[in-house]
Amino acid sequence: MGLHDVFTVEPHSGHVNTWAASAAKTTQTAAGAAKRQKGRAAPPQGRRPPAPRPALAGAALVVAGIGLGTTTALTITAESVGQLTAVGGQATFAGNLTGMVGTYLALLMVLLVSRIPFVEQVFGQDGLLRWHRRLAPWPISLLVAHAVLLVAGYAQAAKSGPWHEVNTLLFSYPDVLIATIGLGLMCLAGVISIRAIRQRVRREVWWAVHLGMYLALALSFAHVIVLGPSFVGHPLTQVVWSVAWAATAGVVLAYRVGLPVLRSFRYRLRVAEVRPEGPGVVSVICRGQHLDRLAVSGGQFFFWRFLTRGMWWQAHPYTLSALPQPPYIRLTVKGVGDHSAALARLRPGTRVAIEGPYGIFTRHSQRRSRVLLIAAGIGVTAVRALLEDLPRSARPVVLLRATQQADLVLGTEIADLVKRRGGQLHELTGNRMTATIDQYSLRHTVPDLKERDLYVCGPEAFVTGVVEVARSLGLPDEAIHHEAYAL
Amino acid sequence: MKRAPLLLSAGTAAGFVSVLGFHLRQAPPTVAGASPSGGASAASPSAASPSAAGPIPAGPAAGRSALGPEEQYGYGVLDVKVTESGTRITDVSVPLLQTAEPTSQQISEQAIAMLRAEVLSAQSARIDAISGATYTSAAYIQSLQAALDKLHAG
Repeated sequence: MGLHDVFTVEPHSGHVNTWAASAAKTTQTAAGAAKRQKGRAAPPQGRRPPAPRPALAGAALVVAGIGLGTTTALTITAESVGQLTAVGGQATFAGNLTGMVGTYLALLMVLLVSRIPFVEQVFGQDGLLRWHRRLAPWPISLLVAHAVLLVAGYAQAAKSGPWHEVNTLLFSYPDVLIATIGLGLMCLAGVISIRAIRQRVRREVWWAVHLGMYLALALSFAHVIVLGPSFVGHPLTQVVWSVAWAATAGVVLAYRVGLPVLRSFRYRLRVAEVRPEGPGVVSVICRGQHLDRLAVSGGQFFFWRFLTRGMWWQAHPYTLSALPQPPYIRLTVKGVGDHSAALARLRPGTRVAIEGPYGIFTRHSQRRSRVLLIAAGIGVTAVRALLEDLPRSARPVVLLRATQQADLVLGTEIADLVKRRGGQLHELTGNRMTATIDQYSLRHTVPDLKERDLYVCGPEAFVTGVVEVARSLGLPDEAIHHEAYAL
Repeated sequence: MKRAPLLLSAGTAAGFVSVLGFHLRQAPPTVAGASPSGGASAASPSAASPSAAGPIPAGPAAGRSALGPEEQYGYGVLDVKVTESGTRITDVSVPLLQTAEPTSQQISEQAIAMLRAEVLSAQSARIDAISGATYTSAAYIQSLQAALDKLHAG
């Protein structure tokens, strides 16, 4: 089978720059509307983020490694031969080692999701979250092993039973009780994040339980300093460890709380218009201040929090479907979940808080001069914004996939952008069985595939499939950029 | 980033090696921490034998001394050495103290200092246990009593 509906681009009347103009009309700011109408051919005026600095992120990786090596070595050097040969000494040593390494890995887990800008710009939130998930089983199982091994070691040394020793440890050692409560919280957060379970609970429930992880780490901090062999009688390591944790807490507070609050107050976004784009798909256009100062690349996303009853407490990630056109900014959303469906009922004037921008599905990831953009479903939003950001030399080939023609939202805008850049647009409609992207169709549609960067965005299964096909056609990993939507 | 695993492992190795190197330079490898247990169970009646280097410093040894047996207790192992001048207990020390982890070491060291004071004032092994260090006290008293018995039998 092949691709059908190869789109011939008709001359357009500036669809791209009209979305903001019509929003201006509906918000009844007469002066602004007139100005916007006049200047509609003007290019977007927003700022672009600085280029990512891989060297800096690499240095961060080295520092993370040094921390791991230091932690391990400090635990080993705190041990003497005498302690190791004492009764229960080996289990106790193993318990200390698993405890220290597990705690350090927990610190890395927090840093991976702390939204440090220069790290996000290089690895992308997608990649960082993948690492966060991959690493997750380690700190939890190491810390559980830590508890079990120390109980066993102490029970051997005291010649008492494990239950007696649990009692002794909990109630006569300082800070062990609260650390144990912390471990319980950590296990709970770990269990609820197991894929099969997570899919069965509400996102907000998961999030609340997951936040318990911070509490768990705070509760366990004291017993490490007071009882840890590397810390008892070693004021220097105590200080370094405390500073590392305080700095991590500071980074989390600054980038996950402080910066988003600051940005939300600065840009003062309010819903200006909610516009239907296709079956179940709406664009939300927000109006704000100082948006010319907001540095965002096409293809990036924000976490959006609509401050209205029933929605203010949840933030969801949605991609910008166009570069900002101050004072307007637009997101386009398909109503698949409770939240995204509720967006269609947003009233103009609703305040909007933002966190972001995040994501490396941007022109900064481009390694070759020309690109191939593939989108399925609502993944079209990222491709639409990215197109706007690409240089004319990119000669983009754009491939859009949807179940039916009506689902191909933003089609005219994309056609216009493709035409301006001398590219080609292909639309592929049909069900998953008939309208697939395989080796054959891709090679025939894009003969120069190997000389292009591939950007693919859509549902996870679709993205995985396209990436596999591209790899099998010989496209190297550094030329493949993807962003998957979890539904 | 393709080099990520490489950078991470390089950092880990660097951190590990530097701490280990620093530690070895700070404390040249000695076996002081690991008192050999061979011969420790035998009484050493000779007054001239220097008190073994242990965690609890021994006072000036004069007169006859004896070493009690190693006592395994809750959180480790210890033995007690007692020195008598005539019928007076002039010194008590703990040549061997091994615990599995530093907290027990700290607790035991504090308790041993207090027990030593008790013994010197009571002039016998009939002393009260230190609260919070019941196991340590019991082992201490046991080893001390055995050492005194040896001294008086010999």
